[in-house]
Amino acid sequence: MLAPAALEVRGLCKAFGDKAAVCDLDFAIPEGSLTVLLGSAGAGKTTTLRLIAGVDRPNAGRVLMRGRNVTGLEPKDRDIAMIFDNLALYPNKTGFANIASSLTIRGTAKAEIEQRVAEVSSTLRIAHVLNRLPKTMSGGERQRVALGRALIRKPGLFLLDEPLSSLDAMLRIELRAELKRLQRDLGATFLLATPDFAEAMAVADTVVMLRAGRVVQIATAQSLYDDPVDREVARFVGAPEINLMKAVYEPGILGSIQVAGASFAGLKKLRNALPKAGGPFEIGIRPEHLKLLPPGQAPIKARVFDIEPLGLKSMVTVKNEESEMRLIVDTDVAGRYSAGDVVGLDLVDLGLLAFDAVSGVRLA
Amino acid sequence: MTGRKLTWPLAFVLFGALIISLFPVFWIVMTAIKPPTDWNASPAIWVPSHPTMVNFKTLFDPDAIRAYGVGGVSQAATNSVFGSLLASVAGTVLSVVIGLCAAIGISRYANGGKATPLIILSGRMFPPAAIAVPFVIIYSNVGLIDTYRGLIAIYVAGTLPFSTWMLKSFVDDLPREIEEAVMIDGRSRLMAHIFVTIPLIRGGLLATTLFIFILNWSEFMFALVLSYSNVTTIPVQLARYVTATAGTLYGVQAALAVLAMLPLILAGLLIQSHLARGMTFGAVKR
Repeated sequence: MLAPAALEVRGLCKAFGDKAAVCDLDFAIPEGSLTVLLGSAGAGKTTTLRLIAGVDRPNAGRVLMRGRNVTGLEPKDRDIAMIFDNLALYPNKTGFANIASSLTIRGTAKAEIEQRVAEVSSTLRIAHVLNRLPKTMSGGERQRVALGRALIRKPGLFLLDEPLSSLDAMLRIELRAELKRLQRDLGATFLLATPDFAEAMAVADTVVMLRAGRVVQIATAQSLYDDPVDREVARFVGAPEINLMKAVYEPGILGSIQVAGASFAGLKKLRNALPKAGGPFEIGIRPEHLKLLPPGQAPIKARVFDIEPLGLKSMVTVKNEESEMRLIVDTDVAGRYSAGDVVGLDLVDLGLLAFDAVSGVRLA
Repeated sequence: MTGRKLTWPLAFVLFGALIISLFPVFWIVMTAIKPPTDWNASPAIWVPSHPTMVNFKTLFDPDAIRAYGVGGVSQAATNSVFGSLLASVAGTVLSVVIGLCAAIGISRYANGGKATPLIILSGRMFPPAAIAVPFVIIYSNVGLIDTYRGLIAIYVAGTLPFSTWMLKSFVDDLPREIEEAVMIDGRSRLMAHIFVTIPLIRGGLLATTLFIFILNWSEFMFALVLSYSNVTTIPVQLARYVTATAGTLYGVQAALAVLAMLPLILAGLLIQSHLARGMTFGAVKR
């Protein structure tokens, strides 16, 4: 038997009034890993973290930490630290007192507190705010103080609720790399909630995808992207959003797939995975999996609607009678066309996804 | 504090408002130091030419009061000052303590369900006059009439809706995550409220205490109908300075009114820096 997971959540449910916030949550996160709870606003990320922290009590289910059932314990007895999405620094206390809080409360010797605050604040580069109140700190400094307050404890599990959401883009990317490095260096276990797929991609060992209070998929960020369980996950993951189009599969010896006004006799990989009876379905094509070609050299005809240069790559939006599609292509390829031009598009068998047209469940 | 600039028109309006609000205070203080001949003089004497402390002496000298004539009050004001202090301080402390517990319970734990705050507020929806007489009857039967215990109890009951609702609004404004952070850092729920919630709503707590104290300090009707001779408060005593022969003793009344104002003004000055909100600024991202 393996060592018990740092955290195990079994059948966790929480309702506010008669509205279920999360239901039947089941997942485990291994010691020393960084797991991301991914989901849009209202998916139940914060509720999940609060239940694990013990500041809210579940209606059903259990929380186990290193195999120990902590469901009935007070937050202080759970060996966790949490960074709230609003940080929740003590406004009347200095940076030092904020960081030292958990040690002061537990009666740690003064000399040791000072030494550990010094360590943490030099790691986080916040030695200069130790004597200041939170209201005089910048957003990034507050963020680091909140992180310091959590780090100083060396708890068994860190819970981070959208810890980077309020920061500007540059600082966010810098801090998220720092967060990942800290987690690795400390060998700590992190559970981080975010609505941002790019953030999950950047830091996660494993992603727990939540929707409407339920776990829909547990996978690495990359396999969430390559191998989503359904249409909604495929849409949530990846930017620009995956192209979704109505398609029809006509089986038979010369079976073909009709999409965007063109018929494809190839695409064997996709066809083999589709139901034998054929019929309508929805095809999902990542913007980088479409090829932009001169008209006549590709099955799908469309008109360029807009070109957005993104540096090395460009995003091209094209339209025809059946559909609108977005492509990510090399900028020098996009440069050959301008808005209004007729272009050809081809599909690559690789990376095509098929979903049930009604339920959105992944078919292939 | 907003950084609004003091312009001349604004200064003019503010000055006018200041005059209007301070005039009664000025008039009471002036009346308190007028000799009896000036109290009711016509035309009015704004500032007495011979200020005197005789009215204040009269307040605490029963013989001096009786000298004014027959009827009305024959006791020194000492009892009423003591009575007001006891009933108001005890009533305020109890009301604020109970209200604080209720406010935290309602705001953080929705104790008693959604209707509880409204049920508590409904206690203020009776006109006090409608319940005064029933209380006289009940108090007479249970032996609470003319006792400080009885008066304090009614002051607590009467102000609890205010203290609960005011404190609830301050607790609501405080992000609950700050309390939860300290629970994670190692405090129990109760200790989190004592060490975090209460210090962070200190300004609101002081404002509420002052407000409740003013209500109790100036309460008249219950103090009148629930007492005979043991229990007296300043507002009741004030109404007694009417004699059959010398009419109303305006100067003496004014002197007692000045004494009654003092604790309120002092308290207001002492806590004014805490009255402004803004203690939580910077604690959370907005």
